[in-house]
Amino acid sequence: MSSDVRFTDFKSDKQPTWCPGCGDFGTMNGMMKALAETGNDPDNTFVVAGIGCSGKIGTYMHSYALHGVHGRALPVGTGVKMARPDIEVMVAGGDGDGYSIGAGHFVHAVRRNVDMSYVVMDNRIYGLTKGQASPTSRSDFETSTTPEGPKQPPVNPLALALASGASFIAQSFASDALRHQEIIQEAIEHDGFGFVNVFSPCVTFNDVDTYDYFRDNLVDLQDEGHDPNDYEAAKEVILDSDKEYQGVMYQDENSVPYHEKHGVTEDMSEIPDGAPDDAMDLVREFY
Amino acid sequence: MAEDLNWAVGGEAGDGIDSTGKIFAQALARAGRHVFTSKDFASRIRGGYTAYKIRTSVEEVQSVVDRLDILVALTQRTIDENLDELHDGSAIIYDGERSWEAEIPDEMTAVDVPLKSLAEDAGGAIMRNIVALGAACEITGFDVEYLDEALEKRFGGKGSQIVENNKEAARLGQEYVAENYDLEHLGYSVETTDNDYVLLNGNEAIGMGAIAAGCRFYAGYPITPATSIMEYLTGRIEDYGGHVVQAEDELSAINMALGGARAGARAMTATSGAGIDLMTETFGLVATSETPLVIADVQRSGPSTGMPTKQEQGDLNMALYGGHGEVPRFVITPTSITECFWKTVEAFNLAEKYQTPVFLVSDLAMSVTEQTFPPEAFDMDDVEIDRGKLVDDDEVDEWLDAQGHFRAHAVTDDGVSPRAIPGTVDGAHMSTGLEHDELGRRTEDQDERVQQVDKRYRKVETAQEEENWDYREFGDEDADNLIISWGSNEGALVEALDYLKEDGIDVRVISVPYIFPRPDLSEEIEAADDVIVVECNATGQFADLIEHDVLTRVKRINKYTGVRFKADELAEQITEQLSAEVPA
Ligand SMILES: Cc1ncc(C[n+]2csc(CCOP(=O)(O)OP(=O)(O)O)c2C)c(N)n1
Ligand code: SF4
Ligand SMILES: [Mg+2]
Repeated sequence: MSSDVRFTDFKSDKQPTWCPGCGDFGTMNGMMKALAETGNDPDNTFVVAGIGCSGKIGTYMHSYALHGVHGRALPVGTGVKMARPDIEVMVAGGDGDGYSIGAGHFVHAVRRNVDMSYVVMDNRIYGLTKGQASPTSRSDFETSTTPEGPKQPPVNPLALALASGASFIAQSFASDALRHQEIIQEAIEHDGFGFVNVFSPCVTFNDVDTYDYFRDNLVDLQDEGHDPNDYEAAKEVILDSDKEYQGVMYQDENSVPYHEKHGVTEDMSEIPDGAPDDAMDLVREFY
Repeated sequence: MAEDLNWAVGGEAGDGIDSTGKIFAQALARAGRHVFTSKDFASRIRGGYTAYKIRTSVEEVQSVVDRLDILVALTQRTIDENLDELHDGSAIIYDGERSWEAEIPDEMTAVDVPLKSLAEDAGGAIMRNIVALGAACEITGFDVEYLDEALEKRFGGKGSQIVENNKEAARLGQEYVAENYDLEHLGYSVETTDNDYVLLNGNEAIGMGAIAAGCRFYAGYPITPATSIMEYLTGRIEDYGGHVVQAEDELSAINMALGGARAGARAMTATSGAGIDLMTETFGLVATSETPLVIADVQRSGPSTGMPTKQEQGDLNMALYGGHGEVPRFVITPTSITECFWKTVEAFNLAEKYQTPVFLVSDLAMSVTEQTFPPEAFDMDDVEIDRGKLVDDDEVDEWLDAQGHFRAHAVTDDGVSPRAIPGTVDGAHMSTGLEHDELGRRTEDQDERVQQVDKRYRKVETAQEEENWDYREFGDEDADNLIISWGSNEGALVEALDYLKEDGIDVRVISVPYIFPRPDLSEEIEAADDVIVVECNATGQFADLIEHDVLTRVKRINKYTGVRFKADELAEQITEQLSAEVPA
């Protein structure tokens, strides 16, 4: 990897078609900067994008990338990383992609602790399908499919991660560019599954969870003297539904990533021209 | 016709039926005999009956028949379930000291052996099945020393004492029968040869083929009867630098495998029944992102949960048409256990050469049947690997556009684009399930859309021209009677030929391992008077395809009881069909 990689190297020449002011601009900028800052370059980076407005980053960023099926981004990232431990893998998608249709994968990706980062661009709405309730929408949030609100509590993704045995849990705000980038960087550098829920406002369909709302309510854990290695303290902030926090809530200092636990260290793309030399042993086993 | 012996052990699930049967099969293989095994989960009555059946001969055997010569019955139900197959000369080994009163038809020979007590004498009641194997050796004149070798293989890992106890148990069984019965008049004997055979099932052959072909990443979710592929690979693929991951469901499994493949590994997943339904979600993505992926479907009886431990060939239409939109793909169906190996190797080459999903469609019957082969049938020197248009750092340049972007979906004459994997300098690109341009970026431009659809289908056309899509052929090439089959029915058909010949009926058998693309059978069908398509499903999915291809009606033999075809049964049905009218 070259040291002179700049974040713009991670930018494709496709102009984003997000609505002007969409939080995803800031979210993506932070991702690109963090990737460059951590010494990665596009040819050694694999980005997996979900389906949604958020999923368009696959097109707007430049790297090896797959933009797949709604909700299945984490399994794809898992496969890439297992086959190629040498490649930096970043998975990104929306709150619907990650916590609704892909919720099952989220729980298990967290448990598996594969060494990759997962950025959820949480706008508390389905943006691409034009404004339906998402799993993180407030219970009284009125949308075209929930005229009186979903009338069910929103998922707390951080708590879901904690309950699934996460080794890194963080939250950031797309508009706080520096902190957002720093937090993504920490997720990338974390030895294991680095999960960041990013407040990435949808200016078109969500008039509640706005920039102003987050600006007024955001509490930065850094300013609170929070110790991310303290599980009990992490639990407290994660379960505190009265505040919106930014920062690394929890990081397991002793995290052992999947590939180390399972001894998955080889570049699986390299194979011999024929059957392996001792392959006849496999046949002899059946004597 | 092969001089064969048909042997079975049966009891309740949990009686160790499988491992007992396997030990006997291995002993026979060690003695240079051919073996073809089948598992009966089928119950004509109710409950947990299970049996392991062995057909053995010095000649090759590739089917079960409706005859049972020696039965080790651990329950009365085992006898009742098999009354149709037992005959006057059958011997039934059972334990008269156990609580059940064996009801054995008078014509048959009841061999009452105190299995449990003798096992206790040898060191533990758990070895009662081994005592029965010793008894079976005596009835057939089969040298127990062959059994010793199989016992060493099975129990060697548990220490020499266990092995010795088991050998002793076998001897006690043998001696008991020798002392208490004179069964020579039954006329059973087991000839041995110096041949060395390996004994394996279809799923093991698929797993071994995958490793041989360079598959290094497997993601799956347990489901009968596909799980044993995953179990085979686990603990072996690591020796070659690979890994098996158990996903949270099949939605995930296929996407993990896809991720592994995009990262440059030869990757596969395998499933069955409802699992393939879940995977259908991702078929289109594999095709449009042009990812080389092998998807194995070990068919079982459906629909829905159906009969999960029973045979069926009901997924042909799913493999051909599953998924919304139009999904280019290859569909391969191995026709025997050795072919499970070779077609797996082929599947990986096709997947990488054409960057297209390959469906490897096998079935339950092949997955549980253990069969003997000379080891050369899996000659690893014959394994060839073709990675297609994989480009390295130097070759990438040829495929960059004016702005230096890699054209991962370049429109080419043969339809195949260059493939750069992560780490290749200047090869970075996106692939997507959205329709895209040559660079992999979303487009709804009509011309680009048409170009990409066409190039994906052009790959199939190229493959159709470049690759071998031949059928396998048996019997009399000039016969007026043509039987067509796909998948695992081949062995039973080949043996049915012997029965038919005895009745003076000549038949040509065409066994088709390629469903898409598939061989053109018009000439063969034209030349025949009678055409019968044989398959294990109710509606005749392959017969429908053939009728569609050649625009004539064919006769059909369909079996959907959940049990595979048997050679003698098939011969009977063919004879019947030959005199039946062709459907209007
Ligand atoms: C299987 C499937 N069901 C439904 C859709 C339609 N769909 C596309 S994006 C989306 C929700 C996106 O919400 P989110 O993940 O929050 O992303 P956002 O657009 O808000 O960034 C849905 C339901 C789909 N693409 N695939
Ligand atoms: S709809 Fe919302 S999420 Fe989508 S681009 Fe516009 S602002 Fe962003
Ligand atoms: Mg959203």
